[in-house]
Amino acid sequence: MPEILENENPTILNVSQLPSRSRKGPSARAGPDSAFDSLLYPSQPWLSSSSQSSSSEDEEDSSPIDEQDIFDLIAPISDPEHPHTLGQLSVVRLPDIHIQHPSDGGSRLTTVTVDLTPTINHCSLATVIGLAVRYRLEQTLPPDWRVDIRMKDGTHAQDDQVNKQLGDKERVCAALENETLKGMLEKMLEGC
Amino acid sequence: MPPSSATITPLPGGPFSPDLYARAWSSIPHPTRPLIATAHEKSVTVYSLSTLTKHLSLTGGHSRSVRSVAWQPCTTTSSSSSPSQKLRLVTGSFDSTAGLWSFDEKEKSTFSLEKNMNNKQLGEEEEGEEDEEEWEFNLVLEGHENEIKSIAFSPSGQFLATCSRDKTVWIWEEVDEDEWETVAVLSEHEGDVKCVAWAPSEYSGKGGRFYGTDCLASASYDDTVRIWREDGDGEWVCVFVIEGFGGTVWSLEWEKEKRVMMNDEKEGKGKTRMSRLVTACQDGGVKVWELVEEEEEVEEDGGKGDWSVPNRMRRELREEWRCVGEMPKVHTREVYSVAWSGETGVLASTGGDGRVVLYGEEEKEEEEEKKKKEWKVLTVLEGAHGPYEVNHVTWCKRWDKGTERKGEEEMLVTTGDDGVVMPWEVRFS
Repeated sequence: MPEILENENPTILNVSQLPSRSRKGPSARAGPDSAFDSLLYPSQPWLSSSSQSSSSEDEEDSSPIDEQDIFDLIAPISDPEHPHTLGQLSVVRLPDIHIQHPSDGGSRLTTVTVDLTPTINHCSLATVIGLAVRYRLEQTLPPDWRVDIRMKDGTHAQDDQVNKQLGDKERVCAALENETLKGMLEKMLEGC
Repeated sequence: MPPSSATITPLPGGPFSPDLYARAWSSIPHPTRPLIATAHEKSVTVYSLSTLTKHLSLTGGHSRSVRSVAWQPCTTTSSSSSPSQKLRLVTGSFDSTAGLWSFDEKEKSTFSLEKNMNNKQLGEEEEGEEDEEEWEFNLVLEGHENEIKSIAFSPSGQFLATCSRDKTVWIWEEVDEDEWETVAVLSEHEGDVKCVAWAPSEYSGKGGRFYGTDCLASASYDDTVRIWREDGDGEWVCVFVIEGFGGTVWSLEWEKEKRVMMNDEKEGKGKTRMSRLVTACQDGGVKVWELVEEEEEVEEDGGKGDWSVPNRMRRELREEWRCVGEMPKVHTREVYSVAWSGETGVLASTGGDGRVVLYGEEEKEEEEEKKKKEWKVLTVLEGAHGPYEVNHVTWCKRWDKGTERKGEEEMLVTTGDDGVVMPWEVRFS
């Protein structure tokens, strides 16, 4: 990484200032392994009968995943150029996370939309940050969730291009096969 | 009578086994044989359509994911097939190369799949329906700068088109056995080229106005579709740009030639039109396009051999395509794939919402030719691959025990992020 930072003086929040659920700390979700399990050992309950996968029963209760859970999953991601997390830098903000639950009779999918606020509006690393957020959520959320990552309106000079790239499954997949990029993402996700 | 509704149920004996356990991109049936090839991870798995089980795997040819696969049409077009006829398929990979694989039924040994062609034995003999098998990784087509997204053979098998994130479409020609040359690099798209498809029809235009019968369509991340033809001097040119899509155009497919023939027979005019084109878009839209052909003024020389007429301008290569059908919007997320049945003319689409939707075209009402034809939804299959996204749908001939019309009856095959390749029985009423 070059030593010239794109934004030398970002605003940094203390961890204690970050939004959290009052009753407990960041939720202890199953973590990445749950997503890998489903890839490695797909149970395909829709093909056979009604056998429920055991991983969902491991979770302490069946309370649905909410915005705070999503925030807790992605806020600890490190910024690629600052020694801080996306939560501390307010790149990820709780009010900018929206969950749309399945509607009656319609789709069974849940969609989470995360609007990111890059620290400066021409940050060339916006795509990498977006990719890290998408990667993190796709690894951890159940397979019936769809993830849409966008730059918050007007916060980034190339909103549309970045959004389009982050929404393109084929590009995301190919990017994750790039060892350099993958290494960078893994590093950003170390604190998760 | 066109069908008014349909039901989609899992084909007994499915899904194809074994599962692939990781995202699979697409499954392409062989045009005539009971084989279907699935692109997944760095390899291709070929399943038997008779047994719905794995026939063989092609591995070791690519360093990154294989995104697409295409079977070369059998080059012997006559009824008698030559004994040494080769089965050939091409793989398009994120490693930016295309690999050509072939299987010679005459030779005997186990698979040899090493990239360097040193016939390394992989040890596993296949007890197939076709004696022992030898698949060779024949050659690598290099030239693209980034991931290859899609590949397609022209109807004759003479040309191969590849497209890539590098915004280009390459056309390759087989000049000799296993010798391919680049005949064109088409670089007019302003974004990744997601899909290429050759028109099946040998239609040469009103008054024979086209120089060649080969016509290629390409779909792109730049929200357009381009139509390409050869201009008579060996140059490939873009003859029309279809615009106005609300996002990336993920895939396209031509109306099967059989359907064009059938419709024309009904109208008693012979083959008088170009196949239509169907497109699948990021915005959830599925649309049908057709070539606009004005009634040609009578040409003094009968259309052929134009150059004998002095002072005549080169024939206009520019074409006009228009939207003649829009599917009712059912998909809530991107549509990744669309397939046009050769038997029934029914369209199938699928995508990120996991739905498979079938659409039927309403019988043309009276003689209002300019009117858009109505398409209606025949059925919606929710969660075809459970919670997972479905990347590909295709119509495919049935060869399994359950059909009484082997090689004729059609089924649907879907390919998903769960690594499952799923055959579906479709019933119309």
